[in-house]
Amino acid sequence: MKTRYLLSVLMLGCGVAQAQDVFPSRSITMIVPFPPGGVADTTGRPTAAALEKVLKQPVAITNRPGAGGAVGNAAVANAKPDGYTVLMALSSISVIPEADKLFNRKPAYTLDQLAPVALISADPMILVVHPSLPVKTVKEVIALARKQPGELSFSSSGVYGALHMPMEMFLHAAKLKMRHVPTTGGGPAITQLLGGHVTMTAGGPAAITPHVKAGKLRTIVTWGAERHPNYKEVPTFKEQGMDIVYYIWAGMFVPVATPEPVVKVLRDAVRQAVNDADFKSQMAKVNSPVNYLDAPDFAKYVDADAKRLAAVVKVVGKVGN
Amino acid sequence: MLETFNSLMMGFAVAFDPKVFMYAIAGCIIGTLVGMMPGLGPLAGISLLLPATFGLDPIIAIVLLAGVYYGAMYGGSTTSILMRIPGEAASVMTCVDGYAMTQNGRAGPALAIAAIGSFFAGTVGVIGLMLMAPTLASFALRFGPPEYTALLLMGLFVLAYMSGGSMLKTLAMAFFGLLLGMIGIDVMSGYTRFSFGMVELGDGIGIVPVAVGLFGISEILITAGQAEPPKVQRPKLRELIPSREEFRLSVGPILRGSLLGFAIGIIPGSAHVISSFVSYGVERRLSKHPERFGKGAIEGVAGPESANNSAATGAFVPMLALGIPTGPVTAVMIAAIMVHGILPGPMLIEQQPELFWGFVASMYVGNLVLLILNLPMVGLFVNLLRIPYAYLYPCILAFCILGCYSVSNSVTDVWIMLAMGAIGYGLRKFGFDLAPVALGLVLGPMLELSLRQSLAMSGGTYMIFLERPIAVTMFGLALLLLALALKPVLFRSKDWRSEVGLDEKVD
Amino acid sequence: MAEIPAGPAQDTQDPEKGGLKSDRVSGLVLLALAGLIAWLNREFPLGTLADPGPGYVPLLLAVGLGVIGLLVALLGGRSEALRDIRWTEARRAAVILVACVALTFALERIGYRLSVFAFLVFFLGVVERKKPLAVVLVATGFSLASFHVVAILLGVPLPRGPWGF
Repeated sequence: MKTRYLLSVLMLGCGVAQAQDVFPSRSITMIVPFPPGGVADTTGRPTAAALEKVLKQPVAITNRPGAGGAVGNAAVANAKPDGYTVLMALSSISVIPEADKLFNRKPAYTLDQLAPVALISADPMILVVHPSLPVKTVKEVIALARKQPGELSFSSSGVYGALHMPMEMFLHAAKLKMRHVPTTGGGPAITQLLGGHVTMTAGGPAAITPHVKAGKLRTIVTWGAERHPNYKEVPTFKEQGMDIVYYIWAGMFVPVATPEPVVKVLRDAVRQAVNDADFKSQMAKVNSPVNYLDAPDFAKYVDADAKRLAAVVKVVGKVGN
Repeated sequence: MLETFNSLMMGFAVAFDPKVFMYAIAGCIIGTLVGMMPGLGPLAGISLLLPATFGLDPIIAIVLLAGVYYGAMYGGSTTSILMRIPGEAASVMTCVDGYAMTQNGRAGPALAIAAIGSFFAGTVGVIGLMLMAPTLASFALRFGPPEYTALLLMGLFVLAYMSGGSMLKTLAMAFFGLLLGMIGIDVMSGYTRFSFGMVELGDGIGIVPVAVGLFGISEILITAGQAEPPKVQRPKLRELIPSREEFRLSVGPILRGSLLGFAIGIIPGSAHVISSFVSYGVERRLSKHPERFGKGAIEGVAGPESANNSAATGAFVPMLALGIPTGPVTAVMIAAIMVHGILPGPMLIEQQPELFWGFVASMYVGNLVLLILNLPMVGLFVNLLRIPYAYLYPCILAFCILGCYSVSNSVTDVWIMLAMGAIGYGLRKFGFDLAPVALGLVLGPMLELSLRQSLAMSGGTYMIFLERPIAVTMFGLALLLLALALKPVLFRSKDWRSEVGLDEKVD
Repeated sequence: MAEIPAGPAQDTQDPEKGGLKSDRVSGLVLLALAGLIAWLNREFPLGTLADPGPGYVPLLLAVGLGVIGLLVALLGGRSEALRDIRWTEARRAAVILVACVALTFALERIGYRLSVFAFLVFFLGVVERKKPLAVVLVATGFSLASFHVVAILLGVPLPRGPWGF
């Protein structure tokens, strides 16, 4: 213990000299804006572990949950742009400022305060229905919804949340009306469907797989651009003639003013990290296939996604008005 | 039956594997220590430990976390009884009578009964889990928003039996708590309510900082400044053991609390936190001497502690049998299994029998370990009270601040705790009871959400509450409860508490 | 430990003697709070009974709190008189709260260990006037030990000051 303190006192003395060292010269903090055990966390931890190997510096996870990720995202957006604070964000990062705009709130952060570093994973959503519902295809879902307008219902993880957005995309594209039952998270949303209290929901592959295998839920269609490797039999919306795509993704960001050379080091490190064997097996275990994109492509990806989502938020408008 | 027995034997084989066993004990010890930190409860404990389990074998990971969970609940009861600092919502009721017992010099019996009640309730819970998990789980799924609304309403009516003070003041505090629960993002519409532009308030204010502030901090504010320092308790050995009378009084509450807690615990959602409040209300209603409650009645410790523990076990039923989270704690547990590539779901028991039965068996083991570990420790814990208060309270304050900070690495929770400490101090000076605030805060957001979810499901018609058999039954029960509470008021224009000499205004 | 004033006040005096009653004051404060909440609530759509909006339940609760506050004030004639509430410990309570606020404020600025050390030195040395040796020992021991347990064993990233300590 004592040596540790002595060391930190010594480091204090040479702090000035170290500032000119190559990045990174000390430990990096990765902010995860969700509690331990969430998708951002189970993606962030293997990434941090793999980054440690590449950067030869500790990468420590700090969970800063709150307000659907807004607290942690804002913390990084306003952090010192030195590369020592990075963010593992989910796709909700672009919806939160849009919702703030909608409600005339002072946004906690804006998307242009953050610079994308790399996309780590992306999961397409899959539409699942309660097995008692007499439908097997999207066409049948649409037909049933037309026959009973406003009678079918879906659960979500909360308004403007990751499960609400794709459903609204679908409803808007097919010009349908359904009852929306928001819940407090992805787990409760599926629980409502399993209990038959709603008729359908959008779910990530990892969350729905055990229930689909047990015959408690039926898959209909996926929001993926192509068919999911574990769900080869589930068609995409595109195949069904609807141009809607939605993924829940996880990616790394830094404050926008972070110097280019530092970002470069981080980008290179992530590129090596995603090929790490331990990292790959860990991600496979949590059913989040690695879907790596480097900063330029990721920036385009975020842009396109943000535009799509902003459009949906506008279409939905304020709920309950 | 035989099959269950064989499976359980397999489970014990797993649980007594030296490595698994070591981790179960380690989990209980770590949990107890974490739970004894003011502001850190079971949820904080397993959230903090979760990352450390990623590198472990899945069975070990879940056994360790379950141990931490149980241990933290026990540790939380200890601080509630000794220092009036709850580690979670469920310990709030323990604070009331447990701490009163400490002030009467009966800290030892309170701790011992809490340990014994928890052990018994845990065992009841595990047996229930083992025998009936799949059946109960599919029944629990039928609890949708309308049933939930009815259940929470029943929880709210318990208020009538909760406090010994004036009914009006109790109601005022309940409304205050319900309103506190309105802070944060409205799940149904996305509006941020009463957050004054603070992003950190988006998820609302947590029950832990509020409870620690209202109970723990306010207690220090009142005690520390008294002219003469509080007497140091010098517990004698024989005062550590509950008396025959105390045992006799505790049997009923422990039995009822265990069954009640388990029944509430299996329902998906976060309703299990109300089990300890409901148990307290039930015990007070049934007691021949309700006036003793709030002044150190051992039933007020035995009932809620047992209910709390068996609810915690009950919460594992839907988690293990169906793979659905019943609350934040089970959500973390599911994550702990999922990172190992095991998807908890309806097939878990068939596909991972070792995990399921090993977990069940290690819960038996964990409960026993905690009892063996903690009963002898009662003497040690009680000796904490020997530390002169002048040294004790600054350290408790620092611990409270540290604990609240650690939960989500943010000072916002600490500010909430301090503000609640000041408010609690003022309210106590004006003779208000604080437990209804905690109950209101817990119930408020859930009740509002489930009511509005029900209406969203039904397209705006209240008939949904009458069309569903479970909901109707529960509404009936709730009305019966309310009628029982109101009967004396309506027919003899007297409150029930006056019958038993509780209302100090009507003598 | 000393007896704590809790629960309802004993009404030993006659009604309305002894000046303003405590329940009158607290009831009116609750009423004012309810009014404030209702006023803040006006920006949220109320919705309808069939489809309650975000402002519906808070308004309902605020009205409830207001009514109860009013009743507490009206029926509070027999409660303890305001001036009979003794505030002997209020000064110490204020000191404690201010110190806690200072600690919370310092936490993320000068780091956990330094701010807790200063906090304990203040309480034990200045407020409770203990022996300097004991003060330093407890303050040093507590801040270092709690940091070790929480930050290093439990892995909570506790704040460190600008000097890395």
